[in-house]
Amino acid sequence: MLVLMAIEDMLADFGCTSITVAGNIEKALALVNSEPFDLATLDVNLDGQRSYAVARALNLHGVPFAFSTGYGEHGVGDGFGNRPVLNKPFNQTQLFEILKGLLADPKGHPSSTLKAA
Amino acid sequence: MSDKTPKDQEQKAAESEVKEFKKDLGPFVIAGETTRMPMVFTDAREADDPIIFANDAFLELTGYERDEVLAKDLTFLLAPGTAKDALPDLDSEPGETNDIHFCHKDGSDFWADVFVHPVKDEEGTVVQHFMSLVDTTRHKTALRNAATLIDELNHRVKNTLATVQSIVTQAVRNSSDPEIVRESIEMRIAALSRSHDLLGREKYDGAGLHDLLGEALAPFSVTEGRAERFTVEGKKIRMTPKATLALGIAFNELATNAVKYGAFSNETGTIAISWTMNEEPDGRWLCLHWREKDGPKVTPPTRKGFGSRVLEQGLAHELNGKVKLNYAPDGIICTIHVPAPQAMLDG
Repeated sequence: MLVLMAIEDMLADFGCTSITVAGNIEKALALVNSEPFDLATLDVNLDGQRSYAVARALNLHGVPFAFSTGYGEHGVGDGFGNRPVLNKPFNQTQLFEILKGLLADPKGHPSSTLKAA
Repeated sequence: MSDKTPKDQEQKAAESEVKEFKKDLGPFVIAGETTRMPMVFTDAREADDPIIFANDAFLELTGYERDEVLAKDLTFLLAPGTAKDALPDLDSEPGETNDIHFCHKDGSDFWADVFVHPVKDEEGTVVQHFMSLVDTTRHKTALRNAATLIDELNHRVKNTLATVQSIVTQAVRNSSDPEIVRESIEMRIAALSRSHDLLGREKYDGAGLHDLLGEALAPFSVTEGRAERFTVEGKKIRMTPKATLALGIAFNELATNAVKYGAFSNETGTIAISWTMNEEPDGRWLCLHWREKDGPKVTPPTRKGFGSRVLEQGLAHELNGKVKLNYAPDGIICTIHVPAPQAMLDG
């Protein structure tokens, strides 16, 4: 909960103007399927469940995303091993570098980010 | 060998051989029959090395009756997907293979190390194979559980470190006074630690809401006879580990505020905590009220602090519910409304 709030603050510092949070798979899927997002970070463990269904939905909608996890590099499975991973605990600089790398358009600025954690 | 219904001539011959053994090696045969180590003899002169003797331990391990295993070769026991060459090569001299995946008659999995020894006749021709099995299922399960636990522990440690990092970041963001920063970091880490104490005592299987409140409010109630100034009323409910941690932080923020500005900042104020479980169209909800009374007159803050953000945004998101903080003049009222999956009845 506090981690999520800290990430929101970090994103706000980067200039993200619209940050949406989903605390479980159901809510995350509903959001991904109904709203456009520029970027997303996705916790591998969402409310006790693996979040790969959300990862597939993000792929389907072409939303670039990174995983965040406390399980380490090997913690990302289900064919998503090549996705960028934020290892907890991560700092603002690490988050910024990952998000920068995710943005396909080098001139783009993060404006809307889905945060599922 | 209790079963006396040999299927064919071959088997009859094999059994008579075992009888010969019995005559020659009496006590050893009894040992083989009754040992708890599963073992079989196979007929090496037949192409597939069919089983000609199986002891009781082997039958117990595999779940089959004796007449279901005799005349078959050991490959019939392999779990689907296990290659036949997982078994030791019978043509080589004594051999062993480890952790072979087998399938019990009831469909369950088991793992065993298999040891093979050739039995030779006087001319040195291999006439039988002696195979013994060591059941490694329990060992394997224990190893797997240990690996899962280490993974899970690592995950929790990382999450806790991330939480501590957030506590520090927030404290530094909210004040430039080192004393205030230190105090707020220590206070929140202590609250987190108490929640982990509680979860640890309950083997990380969640916690009762009464216990959770007791643990969260303990440091605030020990002084100045405050224990009589707060009441807790509600049916026993068990909260999930996630809800336990989130509510632990939330109650700590509420109590800290009460001590600094609210009902616990004077001599007369009281805090009443109560909850109900409500059936609503979209399922069962837990509705909890934190009501402060008789404290100093409340004036709504001009700027929302970290505490109110933790409650109204953090807690609401974390538990997929609604949290409302009402700065009523008589005392703060916090309403926490979360879906029942966060709370299990009869805790």
